[in-house]
Amino acid sequence: MGSPIETWDGAAAYFTGAGGSSPGILLAISVIVCFAAIAYGALTEEKAYKDHL
Amino acid sequence: MAEAVTQEAAIAALQEGLKWSTTINLEVFYWWCTALMFIIHAGFLAYEMGASRKKNVLASGIKNILAFAFMIPTFFFFGWWIYLASPAGFPDLSADTGGAPWSETMGPNLTDNATGIFWAAFALFAATTASIFSGAVIERIKLSGFVILAILLGSVVWILGASWAWHGEGWLLTKFGWHDFGAAGCVHMVAAFFALGVLINLGPRIGKFNADGSANEIVPHNVPMAVFGLMVLIVGFFGFLGGCIIYNGTSQWTSIFGNPVTLSAVAFNTLMCFSGGIIGGWITTRDPFWMMSGALAGIFAAASGLDVYWPPLAFLLGIGGGVIAPIAAKWLEKLGIDDAVGAVAVHGFAGTFGVVAFGLFASGYPNGDYPDTNLTGQVIGAATMLLLGFIPGYGASYVLKMFNLLRIPEKVEILGMDFVEVPIVAYPEGMDSNGKGVLAPAE
Repeated sequence: MGSPIETWDGAAAYFTGAGGSSPGILLAISVIVCFAAIAYGALTEEKAYKDHL
Repeated sequence: MAEAVTQEAAIAALQEGLKWSTTINLEVFYWWCTALMFIIHAGFLAYEMGASRKKNVLASGIKNILAFAFMIPTFFFFGWWIYLASPAGFPDLSADTGGAPWSETMGPNLTDNATGIFWAAFALFAATTASIFSGAVIERIKLSGFVILAILLGSVVWILGASWAWHGEGWLLTKFGWHDFGAAGCVHMVAAFFALGVLINLGPRIGKFNADGSANEIVPHNVPMAVFGLMVLIVGFFGFLGGCIIYNGTSQWTSIFGNPVTLSAVAFNTLMCFSGGIIGGWITTRDPFWMMSGALAGIFAAASGLDVYWPPLAFLLGIGGGVIAPIAAKWLEKLGIDDAVGAVAVHGFAGTFGVVAFGLFASGYPNGDYPDTNLTGQVIGAATMLLLGFIPGYGASYVLKMFNLLRIPEKVEILGMDFVEVPIVAYPEGMDSNGKGVLAPAE
């Protein structure tokens, strides 16, 4: 992780970890977190309904 | 000799400066369009919360906010790739069409000042489709089921439609000469008919219909907030319509379909159809909710040709949209559809009217190598957008319903979603009004 460049001259993709494996790992984690949040929301929703039924 | 070298260097410097000026201006233009489009969501938030009953106000707001929140990452994960990969039909897996989330242009990149800004503008369009759908289903849809449907609509279905119908090489343009400057088809029709498909499976709110099929009006708890929200939404629309035009830098603006256009043209026609829509809604209902919904319907009724219409034509089409929307809403209600905010009528029916009207009034415009604009192309495109929205909306909501992920339990609906699902109270000091007003002695 961290800077993929040593100089700004001629830099192209300069986002953290560009060219390495960390962007791919973080992408996978963000996909998992995004859909896990939906699943978590579904579970808390069902619990709220059960508490009031 | 030295003078020639100096002149050459000066010309090169000017050319470099012009190139940078063009690049930065492009970024700045779409940046502010994107920022303005956030106002659409402020408008939708006020509109949907106002349209809810008090017991569901915050749940409606949460739903709207969450749709936006989940739209952005999913549009990054796969939505933008679908747009770039699918103009010929379904995504082309054989070529590197761009937009894959691991691509070097899908993040800060000094050789690319465009991808992020276009991704952002389209992500806001995606969020708009989810917001259109969101209003129709308030007060009885499960939050998790709604989020899944919103992601499907915003990051898959509409963007596939955009690849077909709002792309310089989309097949509706290349094969049929389709034209839809303001995305009445791929945004408004797709979102509205997706909502219709969901509404059929979701069912009406408790108390909406009587045993004999007659409808009751479920009154918004805050009409001023709903009406104000609709006006705020219109402000945001200037960002949306700005995002519909292509900045070419050193030559005339063009539409996404490649024809030359000016912002002046769009300014004339947007204001005219907006006004017509309000007037049409007022004539038909006298109801401020339908006057402002009419403003929207008026814009959709002229959206396809905002770049080419004679302004009085845009005005008349706007009136048509403002008249059609409340009539369509009543008709849908007679069919047993409970669309809480008239989304299907405003976006779907007025959008369809607009798309077809373009074929009636604006046929024959040249499209370069592709067929000239024509009525047949508009009808084919309208049918495509309708089915593209309806089939996934109906199918996905049917599956969610099978797994009990679509509708909240009846007791929760009666108690109120805020009481059951939301940890805070919307109006802790109450918000009752007996409508009598308060008189105080003059001083």
